[in-house]
Amino acid sequence: MAVTRRALFARVLQGIGMAVAAGRLDRASAANQVEATGQAIGPLTVRVSRPFDAETPVREFTSALTPNERFFVRSHFGPPSAEAVQPETWRLTVKGLVKGELTLSLPELKKFEPLTLTAVLQCSGNGRAHHRPQVPGVQWERGAVGNAQWTGLRLRDLLQQAGIKPQAVHVQFQGADRPALPTVPLFTRSIPIHKALHPDTLLAYEMNGRPLPLLHGAPLRVITPGWMAESCMKWLTEITVRADETPGYYMQQAYRIPETSIQPGSGLPGSVMVPVEQMPVKSLIAAPAEGDVLKPGPVTVQGVAWAGESPVARVEVSCDDGKTWEPARLLGEEQPYAWRQWQYLWSARHVGPTAILCRATDAQGVQQPEKSPWNPGGFLWSGWDRLTVTVAA
Amino acid sequence: MERVGPTDGYGGGMSMPRRVSRFVFAALLSLTLSLAVFTAAQEEDRASLSPAESRKAATLIMARCAVCHTTDLISQQRLPEDRWIVTVEKMVHWGAELSKEEAAVVLRYLVARNHPGAAAELPTIEQELAMSQPASDPGAAGDGPLTGLSARGAGLYARNCQACHGEGATGGVGPKLARNMILKNEGAFWETVLHGRGPMPAWGAALSHQDIADIHAWLAAR
Repeated sequence: MAVTRRALFARVLQGIGMAVAAGRLDRASAANQVEATGQAIGPLTVRVSRPFDAETPVREFTSALTPNERFFVRSHFGPPSAEAVQPETWRLTVKGLVKGELTLSLPELKKFEPLTLTAVLQCSGNGRAHHRPQVPGVQWERGAVGNAQWTGLRLRDLLQQAGIKPQAVHVQFQGADRPALPTVPLFTRSIPIHKALHPDTLLAYEMNGRPLPLLHGAPLRVITPGWMAESCMKWLTEITVRADETPGYYMQQAYRIPETSIQPGSGLPGSVMVPVEQMPVKSLIAAPAEGDVLKPGPVTVQGVAWAGESPVARVEVSCDDGKTWEPARLLGEEQPYAWRQWQYLWSARHVGPTAILCRATDAQGVQQPEKSPWNPGGFLWSGWDRLTVTVAA
Repeated sequence: MERVGPTDGYGGGMSMPRRVSRFVFAALLSLTLSLAVFTAAQEEDRASLSPAESRKAATLIMARCAVCHTTDLISQQRLPEDRWIVTVEKMVHWGAELSKEEAAVVLRYLVARNHPGAAAELPTIEQELAMSQPASDPGAAGDGPLTGLSARGAGLYARNCQACHGEGATGGVGPKLARNMILKNEGAFWETVLHGRGPMPAWGAALSHQDIADIHAWLAAR
């Protein structure tokens, strides 16, 4: 049964891709088949049907890698038209403050030395629904995040081939996706030159060993390991080396947080707003699930933790609503940018409902707070993860 | 003519205006309907709408906001008035086709429906609209078949349809309409324009029946 539903969902997602490929209007009707917003049908929980925004139910995070078809999906305008990303005609242009402009096809890009790394990708709005007062935007809960293996070329190698001029300060990305109305600003972003030249910053064409799916940015997307996903431009077509940060709404107004904390509920603050960049330390409980009824005895509490560009130093679990905390066991090896799985063996004794919490600490000693600082965009939620289970005799 | 919010459970913190409004209401019961509406409208809190206004706002949202995003994105918001004002202004600035009056009724609907104290689960805007009965159907007035004016349809198409269906109706996010089979099936064409289909929003609130006939005439001549 589960397999059938998965297969059905795969077809639905494929359907979205095919409808887009045909340039037809069926795109969102395919999404409509996934049914009502906020419902988990198949592997994803749909937040918005068009543009298609959906998160991964946290139970999927018992796997080290998040499968492509279960990976959260987010874009501002939905995938571009099929013509814009057709493998035969698609090209990547490198321009701006470079000695020589480049225009490259996908086979040409694949001739650069490939690199594979595992990295967490997380929407800046993940957990927005937990902010109080509430803020506008897609009301993501816990699953606008995933951990995947990305294969591609180093952005640095490409920029070196083009030859960066000394005035270069930011590197701008433009994808092929377009808004329904020409009056809506394009989704254009830039990253500082130091991140663009970092040897781990990738232009990825594979996800978990398979060609990058359309919903995840085919044929090429940016991966800025350790940074939030709005820097990881999908459907990439243009790279522009600039002497300044990209102007425009999505860089100068959206995806910014106050430099210092502000009064919750205040409007746009007078304080300086800075772009969202690194992921803060965060952990999630993947099992048990919210509302589970458990038998007394040993219970394996498990989940994942990540800390952007920094390693996770420890994860602690509380099975008494935060009164006492016990260290969890970190599994496997530390891998930069990837999330770390953890386990805690809980001996459930007291019958009744109880809250299970987790919090992580990174190598710099920064610990997940109980609640994240409020900000008007509802970004970077990293409060303790929490769920309630019942122990029944 | 009881004035109600589009959802129940709202109206805390306004007992004074309510009492005044009820008193005024009682005093006005014997007056004409139009005068009662006028006075109550002056008295009323910004956050309460008549059923007709709620329907108007919901149809506007389906026609003008759902061009870019489905209404589920709106329905999941729980925002105070100041954030709704900023949001609606931003959308109008970005091209949402709302006149000042239309934006105002949409704003009041959203403030009343999607405020921070609203229930976690609300019916969808489409469900709410389906549940409410329209006061009258202006198009039902029996005035015979409409004759579309192709020349007028060109401008209407450019303003309302082109963003999705492309210049010259050659297709875009939405399908190509020039020489599309649906033009020969007027029933299906009208059904789609009036009530929407899949990702296409309903245009019944935005276009008059003459407008739709004009657009059809222009498309049929492509």
